[in-house]
Amino acid sequence: MKTRILTFTLSILFAVAARAELKWEQNTIELHPSVGDKQAVAHFKYENTGAVPVHFKSVKASCGCTTTQTQKEIVNPGEKGEITATFNIGDRTGMQMKTVTVQTDDPNPTQATAILTLKANITPALEIKPLFVYWTSGEEPKPKKISLKAAKDFLAKNITIKSNSPNFESKLEPGKPGEWTIEVTPKDTSHPMATALLIQTDYPKEAPKSFYVNAQVTNPMPPQLLRAPASNPASPRPSPPSSPAAER
Amino acid sequence: MLRAVRQGLLLLALAALPAIGQAFYLRNKVSWESPIPASELVAVDQARAWGDSAIWIDARPDDEFARDHVPGAFSLNEDHWNELLAQFLPNWSPDKKVVVYCSAESCNAARDVAKRLRDEAQLKDVFVLQGGWEEWVKKNR
Repeated sequence: MKTRILTFTLSILFAVAARAELKWEQNTIELHPSVGDKQAVAHFKYENTGAVPVHFKSVKASCGCTTTQTQKEIVNPGEKGEITATFNIGDRTGMQMKTVTVQTDDPNPTQATAILTLKANITPALEIKPLFVYWTSGEEPKPKKISLKAAKDFLAKNITIKSNSPNFESKLEPGKPGEWTIEVTPKDTSHPMATALLIQTDYPKEAPKSFYVNAQVTNPMPPQLLRAPASNPASPRPSPPSSPAAER
Repeated sequence: MLRAVRQGLLLLALAALPAIGQAFYLRNKVSWESPIPASELVAVDQARAWGDSAIWIDARPDDEFARDHVPGAFSLNEDHWNELLAQFLPNWSPDKKVVVYCSAESCNAARDVAKRLRDEAQLKDVFVLQGGWEEWVKKNR
C-alpha cells in the first residue's frame, strides 16, 4: 500500500515538474495606427516557463487580412520569443479585432491553445457621411448633402471634386477648417443613371489621398420589370474616375 | 440565526470563487462580437428564392472571389472598400435585397460589410448569409 502511495505521489510530482508551459506576456495588444498607415503590427511575446520543449502545431489568424510569423517551431525551456501578427488595414475603419489561435503540443488542454487578440482603432482619414445618395426615378431632383470631416492628423486644406458623369452637378462648400459639404443634384430624374464622385485632397503632399462618393438615380420599378436587354443602358455601370492615389 | 446567515454568506462566497477565477482566466477568450440578430440573417434557400430581387455580395478577399463565387455576385471586401463600393452601387436599386456572405459561419467579414452598407451607404434590406460560402456550396453542388 505504501509503495502504491509513493508511486502515485512521485508520478504526480514528475508530471508537475515535467510540464510544458508557454507564458504569454500579453494576450491582447491594442494598437493605434496613424491615419494612412497600411499595416498594424502586434508582437506577442512568450516564454517557456516549463521543463520540457513546446512545439507550435499551428498558428492561425481569424481573417485573411492578418498574417502571422513565428520565429521558431520549438521553444526550449527558458527560451523567449514572439509571434508577429501583421494586420493589413486596407479600407477598414473603426475598432478592429483580429484573433490569432496558437496550438501547441502542451498536454494540458487549457495551455495547449492560446487566443491572441490584436485590437486596432482605425480613424478614417476623411469621414464621409453618407457615402451614397440616391433619387428614385421621377422624384424631384432636390440637392442632397454629403458632409466631409478630416481626421485631426489628416491635414488636408483643400479638396476638389471630379465627376465621371455630366448628369450630376456637385457643389463644394467649405465649413470649419477640415470640414466641407458637398451638394449633389441630378440634372433630371427621368431615367436611371449613376456617378462616382472623386474627392481629391491635397494631403499628404507627396501622394495626395482620394476618396469616392456615389450618386445615383434608381429605377423604383419591381425587378421583373427592370429586366432589359444587355444592350439597354437602363442601369449604366460607371467606372470610378481614374485616380492612381485613390485610397484602397 | 446569525450563525446561519454567516454560513450562508460563506457558502455563497465559496461558490463565487471558481466563477470569478474562470471569468479572469477567460477574460481574453470571450467572443467580443454579439451574435447577428435573426432579422439580419438569411438562409441559403430563402435567399435563392428571392431570385433576381437579390443582389449577392462576396465579402471574401479578392483571391477567394477570383477562385469561385456565387454566380452574379459582386466582390465587396474591406481591403478595397472605396473602389469596390463604387462598382457595386450602380447595380443596386431600392427594391433589391442585398445578401452578403463570407467564407463560413465563423467569419466576420460579411457582418462587417453588411454593417458598413447599412451605416455608410445607408442601404436597407441588407442580410448576412447563414453559413456563408461554405453553406452555399453545400446546397448547390
